[in-house]
Amino acid sequence: MQKIKIKKGHDINISGLASREFTTASNPKFVSISPQDFNYVKPKMIVRENDKVSMGDALFFDKNNPDVKWPAIASGVISKIVYGERRAVQEIIIAVDSEIEENTSSVGNLGSSPKAVIKEFLTEKNMWPFITQRPFNKVVNPQDEPKCIIVSLADSSPLANDLSFSLNDKKDDIISALSVLKKLTDGHLYVAVRGNNFSYLSDYDFINLLQIEGPHPSGNVGVILNKVNPINQNEVVWTVQGSHLPILGRLFSKGEYDFSLNINVAGPAVTPSYYKSRMGVQFDCFSKSLKLDKVRVISGNVLTGKKVEIDRFLGFYHSTFSVIEESHERPFIGWLHPGGKSKYSVFNAYFGSNNNSYDFTTLQNGSNRAFVPVDAWEKVFPMDIYINSLARSIEANDVDEMEQLGIYECDEEDVALCSFVCPSKSDVGSIIRTGLDTIYFDK
Amino acid sequence: MNFLRKIFAESGKLVEKGKPLSWAYPVWEAADTIFFSTNKQTSNGPHIRDNMDIKRTMFFVVIALIPCYIFGAYNIGYLNSLALDIERSLLANTLFGLTYVLPILIITFIAGAICELTFAIIRKHEVNEGFLVSCALIPLTMPPDVPLWQVFMGTSFGIIIGKEIFGGVGTNVFNPALTARAFMYFAFPTKISGDKVWAVGPDGYSGATALAIPANPVEYDTASNLFAASTQFDFSLMNMFLGLIPGSIGETNKLLIIGGALFLIYCGIASWRIIASSIIGLVCTAFLFNLLSGFSTNAMLTITPLQHLLIGSFLFGTVFMATEPVTSSHTNTGRWIYGFLIGVLTVIIRSINPAYPEGVMLAILIMNMFAPLIDYYVIQSNIKMRLARNV
Repeated sequence: MQKIKIKKGHDINISGLASREFTTASNPKFVSISPQDFNYVKPKMIVRENDKVSMGDALFFDKNNPDVKWPAIASGVISKIVYGERRAVQEIIIAVDSEIEENTSSVGNLGSSPKAVIKEFLTEKNMWPFITQRPFNKVVNPQDEPKCIIVSLADSSPLANDLSFSLNDKKDDIISALSVLKKLTDGHLYVAVRGNNFSYLSDYDFINLLQIEGPHPSGNVGVILNKVNPINQNEVVWTVQGSHLPILGRLFSKGEYDFSLNINVAGPAVTPSYYKSRMGVQFDCFSKSLKLDKVRVISGNVLTGKKVEIDRFLGFYHSTFSVIEESHERPFIGWLHPGGKSKYSVFNAYFGSNNNSYDFTTLQNGSNRAFVPVDAWEKVFPMDIYINSLARSIEANDVDEMEQLGIYECDEEDVALCSFVCPSKSDVGSIIRTGLDTIYFDK
Repeated sequence: MNFLRKIFAESGKLVEKGKPLSWAYPVWEAADTIFFSTNKQTSNGPHIRDNMDIKRTMFFVVIALIPCYIFGAYNIGYLNSLALDIERSLLANTLFGLTYVLPILIITFIAGAICELTFAIIRKHEVNEGFLVSCALIPLTMPPDVPLWQVFMGTSFGIIIGKEIFGGVGTNVFNPALTARAFMYFAFPTKISGDKVWAVGPDGYSGATALAIPANPVEYDTASNLFAASTQFDFSLMNMFLGLIPGSIGETNKLLIIGGALFLIYCGIASWRIIASSIIGLVCTAFLFNLLSGFSTNAMLTITPLQHLLIGSFLFGTVFMATEPVTSSHTNTGRWIYGFLIGVLTVIIRSINPAYPEGVMLAILIMNMFAPLIDYYVIQSNIKMRLARNV
């Protein structure tokens, strides 16, 4: 076991952390899968509205990479395909019907099969979307050879789904998923954990266990890779969401699709809790937990999640709904405010410490201004990268310099805290995304 | 309050996009958000944000400067009473000084606001609160008896040439406040060169500032002896620390400057690395010069490191000017080098240069110029590390 200590960063003290117990919620009538959740995918539909689908059936494929197909995450009827501008597919909504017979198949012992067989299996079962890659944070190309695979079971983001609780009884599935994933790479299989969670993983030699210590973003795969095995140009690293391991494991060991997911609904505007639910669930199922009227529902965490309407669905890679108040308040001379419970800052700029948990709202807490480098980003950015210079090279559209400064190692989620602390209210994540897009479409 | 809000809401409609007055939007936005915090919402990306913004950041720097203003005003009155040989109360001294400080301050802000707002409108960029800090700094670097028209000229030059022609706050190369001072220093040398005494006294009142004493001694002696021999002002270390000596309005009291520095470092606004490294640079160079002083008849070489720290405006410069985030180095390694060289250059310019008794202003401006180069080399080492790995 390797210990990794990350010093720079910040754990945002936001209220509404779910306690470690499950609440029951109504069964979802609809689930959805949105091609918008996947970077650089051009979806081509396979199914049409009102088609019946069983779990795992292919819904659409990527025109750029026809081997990669997306599975139906529930059995039922395609109730609606939502199109956006220029007929881009926004969302495929499945009306869940448990009567429909589910796909099962026998599997051999995948854990001892060669790489090609496993890849074939993933293609056949439409499971590639569960594996993403760095750089670019996109679904992998099955033909690639990853230099290593990394799974983080130590999500450090605010109000994150605590996997040591929600994956508590999934030991066998996790092991079977990891043993198959290991076959996909000639390099290491890194698994990041916090403290003594998942201590049983240390019994398996094929796992390179990393014990992570330190504040957010210490649990991000990008940050961990930067410390143990940085990504160089022309290299790819594959990664799987920790919460998806049981889904893969069950399929690898028993040949069964099971898209159930333990999710948490958290944040200052709800009664927080964990729920036994499924992928792509509709927020409606949890609307009873709302404490306020004007809220913003976020699929994912408050730093990198996606704003969704209250009747919409959980994103493919998410296992958390965060809910915060939509505020339009305009306090009189707010910039002179002495401090108190509503004022949270990583700068020592307000009276009262940040020890209480704070009810964050959607307020930006300041106007957008030209960037003044007061060392705020650097305080919360633990990677060995000059993020300020990198951002400038992206603004200047200088691809060579972006590469030299290490853009391949970065992803939006790694710099989300920089945007959080930035006094000029810059959105560093979208700057990084712009840079990655420039490079991606250049090639 | 509601009345005020209504005024802004109504006037806001006039500057909306497409309306004839839309060019004035940056000015309206700046004024509106001074009274009521913006209700701008996060969109995507981080849905929650820290409560620190540029307004508060800049306001904190201004807070750190307020004690310097008050003491500066008192000191003007105190030195005046000393020159006239009369007794005056603390309050009377301060009020007397304020009659000098306030006009300079008001003129600076008028000039600064005109330049900033004009450029915000023409260049269509937002009004950055950084200009408030520049305008708050400029009067503190002025002698109390500076003519107001010169202040107006200097401030306009500083804001326009030091900042706006480079694109405004965030992209400027030189510290605008120092640019303003440097302009006045060279344009109006009779008023602001720094060797003649800067106190408000009766006509014909003159004397030498602390730095000018060892620079132009009647007879060679060590700096300490020359200070002790000075009868016009008390140049003891304690008195220089507490600032009861002539100088620019805000720089004399080192205690308040140190207080301001600690406040800004605690709040995470000023870089302690720059302050620490510049002091290290100053002390090292001064010490080296002390060792070499035996080979020369230049009394400046005998100034001890501690005296260097307390004389002149080094501390004020390093705390409030050198740490300006935009024009200093942007990397932590770079900040160490940048600060250290400011300290070194300050002593060099002070000691082995017959023309300028004070060196900190030029030292910081020179290093402002080199800060991007320092950063370039620091970043190159990171790039080389990455290339070496990529084999």
